[in-house]
Amino acid sequence: MSNSKIDLVNAIKSSFNDKVQIQMGQLGTAAINASNDLLREVLKVLLRADEKTGITAITGVDLGVNIGILYHIHASNAFLTIRTEVPKENPKIQTISDLIPGAVFHELEVSDLLGVVFEGNPRTGHFVLTENWPEGVYPLRKDVKANEIKLNPSPKEDTKPPEIGKLVKIIIGPQHPALLEPEKFVVTVDGEIVTKVEPRIGYVHRGIEKATETRTYIQDVYLVERICGICNACHAYGFVSAVEKILKTEIPERAKYLRVVTLELNRLHSHLLTLGHAALEIGYETLFQYFWRDREPIMDLIELTSGNRVYASLMTIGGVRRDLKENDFPRIQKTLEELKKKLPFYRQIYEKEPSIQARMKNVGKLTREDAIKLCVVGPVARGSGYDIDIRKDDPYEAYGEIPFKKIVYTDGDTWSRQNVRMDEVEESINIIQYALNHMPAGPIRAEVPRNVLAGEAISRNEAPRGELFYYVKSNGTAFPERVKVRTPTYANIPSFLKTAVGENIADVPPNFVSLDPCFSCTDR
Amino acid sequence: MSKTVTQILTWARVKSPWVIHFNSGACNGCDIEIVALLTPKYDVERFGIKLEPSPRHADVLLVTGCVTEQCAERLKRIYDQMPQPKFVVAIGACACSGGVFEGNYNVVGGVDKILPVNAYIPGCPPRPEAIIDGVVKLLNALNPPKQKKQSKQQEVPKEEARPKGATTDVLILPETEKIVEEEKESVKQ
Repeated sequence: MSNSKIDLVNAIKSSFNDKVQIQMGQLGTAAINASNDLLREVLKVLLRADEKTGITAITGVDLGVNIGILYHIHASNAFLTIRTEVPKENPKIQTISDLIPGAVFHELEVSDLLGVVFEGNPRTGHFVLTENWPEGVYPLRKDVKANEIKLNPSPKEDTKPPEIGKLVKIIIGPQHPALLEPEKFVVTVDGEIVTKVEPRIGYVHRGIEKATETRTYIQDVYLVERICGICNACHAYGFVSAVEKILKTEIPERAKYLRVVTLELNRLHSHLLTLGHAALEIGYETLFQYFWRDREPIMDLIELTSGNRVYASLMTIGGVRRDLKENDFPRIQKTLEELKKKLPFYRQIYEKEPSIQARMKNVGKLTREDAIKLCVVGPVARGSGYDIDIRKDDPYEAYGEIPFKKIVYTDGDTWSRQNVRMDEVEESINIIQYALNHMPAGPIRAEVPRNVLAGEAISRNEAPRGELFYYVKSNGTAFPERVKVRTPTYANIPSFLKTAVGENIADVPPNFVSLDPCFSCTDR
Repeated sequence: MSKTVTQILTWARVKSPWVIHFNSGACNGCDIEIVALLTPKYDVERFGIKLEPSPRHADVLLVTGCVTEQCAERLKRIYDQMPQPKFVVAIGACACSGGVFEGNYNVVGGVDKILPVNAYIPGCPPRPEAIIDGVVKLLNALNPPKQKKQSKQQEVPKEEARPKGATTDVLILPETEKIVEEEKESVKQ
């Protein structure tokens, strides 16, 4: 395992000698400082060395005179960060989207929020910010104050009915019964067949990344938690673990197990939620009600362990805030056992029910090659036979000690993706039960210094929807310098744009929901 | 006759409020709790509440979220499309005041900056029981249950009855009251 990590770094060392500086153990396996023009060459070497090379995120940081651009690259067993800089006066850099197609939206975000021009990127214009955003104002630059931005008058919305021709544009959103959240998808159809899907996100953009810079580290834990009301524990964990890496704090064993219990309860309720939502989208309302009925006991467990139904607020820098009482263990075990008993029933429905077969089998097929190229994550990747699971690949907290299976299906259709989630429900139950049975005694929180020294760190964890990535940079003050969040749905959108094309318009909702889309995460 | 028609109208309105839900930039916490209301444990259909996808058929607009710049226009449009009389319920701390996102760029903050709000349900997110309580209070305010003479004297003045953000409070705005009155008038004629 460790061999391939060194192999990749060695491949770069031998190809570039002294032209690039490599810092081992920083920002993942290694941080590579490369100049602007060498970036593409470094990427080409990485792509040749490992077929699973892909992009996790692109972070832009305002460094004063320059804008730093960090390319976070994942490979089979390594995680590399390539650093480069562009001058603020003329922030231009060549795109990498021709080498890694999954990078298109990551580049678009950096250009929208920091004003970096990616030459050759097929998309332009606003993607996260509103259409009436003032020109030349980039919110993540340090000289821009959040409360001083004045928007242009909003443009009149085009309310003309679409012209009747061969191709018809169907606008889904921002308010649409199938979407719980406001986003817009313009689907072009030829008859019944989808020929193109154009996304427009940013309706839930609340400027959280900028807001973290004006709040203290402890306040930020609760702020980033509110990026998403579903996978909130994962967001809080991502942030605190990155800060702990900067602080070089080792958290107590019991806290590690308590964190695993919280994260897995989060996954359980999220998976049951989306399985129900998927049933609703194909018009199978009974199954929706069943899944949500069985989700309620899990919500009660979250309330039991944390005191709140939705926001657990359990994570804190250095450990967890609340301990689990020993006499609550039997109740948790009993509830989980009851849920486990119901799973064969649901599996039988997925195996035998004709309506599920008809609406989910062979819908939204994503091949393994495309999944790797588009850098998808989580159950979408695992449903296509692309076996990435951060819990196994890069174990964090107690996941290295807990036995569990990595669920992989190979068909790549909607049915496979939902079945990945169904099997993961069972695995999550097993993980929680193991963690409760092997819960170590001891403190739940380590002493942490009050001041966070200057430094930077990344953190990756497997949220219910896939890999959640955090980058935190501190400058020695009470407030972080930059917090970057790459959420799983942001990485999965390109796969939907690909799989929806060529399929029936009626297959769009089940296909789309199989990504388990969460736009409050995506927009931040 | 006219009195009967008014009674029937109020009865129908109170017994089957159709709600439309719009997320104006929420984190999904409140939204999922609203969906949870429709599922077996809470089951608000027992109050005749039905989730309606089209604004043109809805009586009550449930708004969650801190209202982002991009959603503000759309929120207003949805409200304009709803038939009279209509009611707005702000669900969650963000919808009540902007919550934790107050002061961020791209955030307007608080539904009442865009629309007249009838009921505020605070919480992050409010428990489903609190949402039910808020909506039922709104319905009761439309058709107040007959009170005994004694309790009438103990009634608190209107301003004091609405400490903003402290508990679930219902406010029937003068505009809405006027519309209901006008409706009664027109029925009489």
